[in-house]
Amino acid sequence: MAKKVLIVEDEEILLGLLQKRLKREGYDVLLARNGEEGLKMMRKGSPDLVLLDIVMPKMNGFQVMEEMNKDNQLKKIPVIIISNSGQPVEIDKAQRLGARDWLIKTEFDPEEVLKKVDKQIGK
Amino acid sequence: MGEKQEGFKSKELRRGAKRLLQRDLELTRVREELEQKIKELEAAKEREMVLRIREIAKATDIKRKVEELEKKTKELKDARRALLNILEDVDEARKKAEEERNKTLAIIANLTDGLLVFDSDNRISLVNSRAEEILGVRFEEIEGESISGLGRLPLLRPIAQLVKEKGRVFREEVKLHENLILEVTTTLITREKEKIGSLLVLHDITREKRIERMKTEFVSVAAHQLRTPLSAIKWSLGMILAEDMGPLTEEQKAFLQKTYNSNERMINLVNDLLDVARIEEGRYIYKPVFCDLTKICQAVINSHKAIINRKKIKFEFKKPKEKLPQIKLDEEKISLAIQNLLENAIRYTPPGGKVVVSLKRKKREIEFSVKDTGIGIPKEQQSRLFTKFFRGTNAVRMETEGTGLGLFIAKNIIESHRGRIWVESEENKGSVFHFSLPIGLTSSYRK
Repeated sequence: MAKKVLIVEDEEILLGLLQKRLKREGYDVLLARNGEEGLKMMRKGSPDLVLLDIVMPKMNGFQVMEEMNKDNQLKKIPVIIISNSGQPVEIDKAQRLGARDWLIKTEFDPEEVLKKVDKQIGK
Repeated sequence: MGEKQEGFKSKELRRGAKRLLQRDLELTRVREELEQKIKELEAAKEREMVLRIREIAKATDIKRKVEELEKKTKELKDARRALLNILEDVDEARKKAEEERNKTLAIIANLTDGLLVFDSDNRISLVNSRAEEILGVRFEEIEGESISGLGRLPLLRPIAQLVKEKGRVFREEVKLHENLILEVTTTLITREKEKIGSLLVLHDITREKRIERMKTEFVSVAAHQLRTPLSAIKWSLGMILAEDMGPLTEEQKAFLQKTYNSNERMINLVNDLLDVARIEEGRYIYKPVFCDLTKICQAVINSHKAIINRKKIKFEFKKPKEKLPQIKLDEEKISLAIQNLLENAIRYTPPGGKVVVSLKRKKREIEFSVKDTGIGIPKEQQSRLFTKFFRGTNAVRMETEGTGLGLFIAKNIIESHRGRIWVESEENKGSVFHFSLPIGLTSSYRK
């Protein structure tokens, strides 16, 4: 059965590109456009991995992770942070909250995102 | 007449002789008296003469003296007149000085900067009204106190602390509270090389700071906002170039690659601007840890091997002879500083030129340098080289691309690590950029 990846990202174009790339590699892809929706999708769709943006409307990435940590089931899902700013303070905080990996949008191509996803839940 | 007569006659004679004798005696006495008198008279006359002579002498002397006195009086009068003149002048000068003094005091009192004057014993001798206003004290309350004594006043405590730490002459920013940021400057007051006191100037920079922060925040927000669409473009182009959206012709690929490269440049520019904004916000250096500078250098060099070969530049890395001690660094930032210096060397060195990177220990420092045989920097522009947005005129002629931020960022990174950065350069011959970092400093870094 194909592994399921949830992408939580408010930037439509990045969402679309990632979805396309991951699907082509054979992943099932779930989409959420803000933190709140992301948490809902996690509970409903039980993904194997979450790609999580930080700056989002309604609930930001940090708040999403805090909520995940309160839930014994969600806590187990690996998270990769997709950060816009890439500031060390931000990365540090995400790591403290349990993020497995992180990437900075302007420094990565979808190709590299794919590598990171493979590394976590490789086929 | 007989005997009787005879007797009579001798009697008479005897009586006559006796009388004569008596008279003679009398005359002698008179004569003696007279002589005595004459003597006395002569003595008196003589005395009188002496007196007269003395009197005459005295009179002459007095005349001379009177003349002298008259002369002196005249002189005195002249002197008095002159003195009066001088006094008048002095009076005028004094009036003028007083006027000047009042004017100066008025200027000091009405200065928009706060001013505290300390005497040669470092005790407060003057406080203007602006300083009273800023610090919330009256001059009378603190007159004659020393700076350390002033630490008891809450608003003066940070300033007193500064004076203690920095010594007598400095210029520092002090944030007293959210709505009051001061630039505090102290200077010595000297007269003919002798210290007669010191000045503490309080310059209110709250407004400037607010504007500066707004500007920095604007740059920061704008840069962040720019990054999102730039990421979208990068990712789209990346996927199209990887032929994820279907096969491309060579021409399409070439154009898309150029577009991709332009976008990369834009991303770099935005990143540079963000770095500058963070430097100015004072939150740039992050958690320094012990690192091996040789390794960091090697990593930066490795990622530039391709471009060095493509430009046909001779390259050499002179590694240190001994193993360098590890020093506390923000590895990412130091890499960036090295990268900025190395990229400049490569960019401004024509094909066939040479770039040499060297790393060595110098006493309590590690010194990095990158030497090139490039276009160099005109002498008169070297002092501005490390300022924001500055680019050498010959550099602009050679390469229109470039933000003028690289060296500014590098300088800030190095100085935040308590290091120094400098350049030696000659136009058309080449440049050597150096930086040195102290070994074994574990004290806090500037954030």
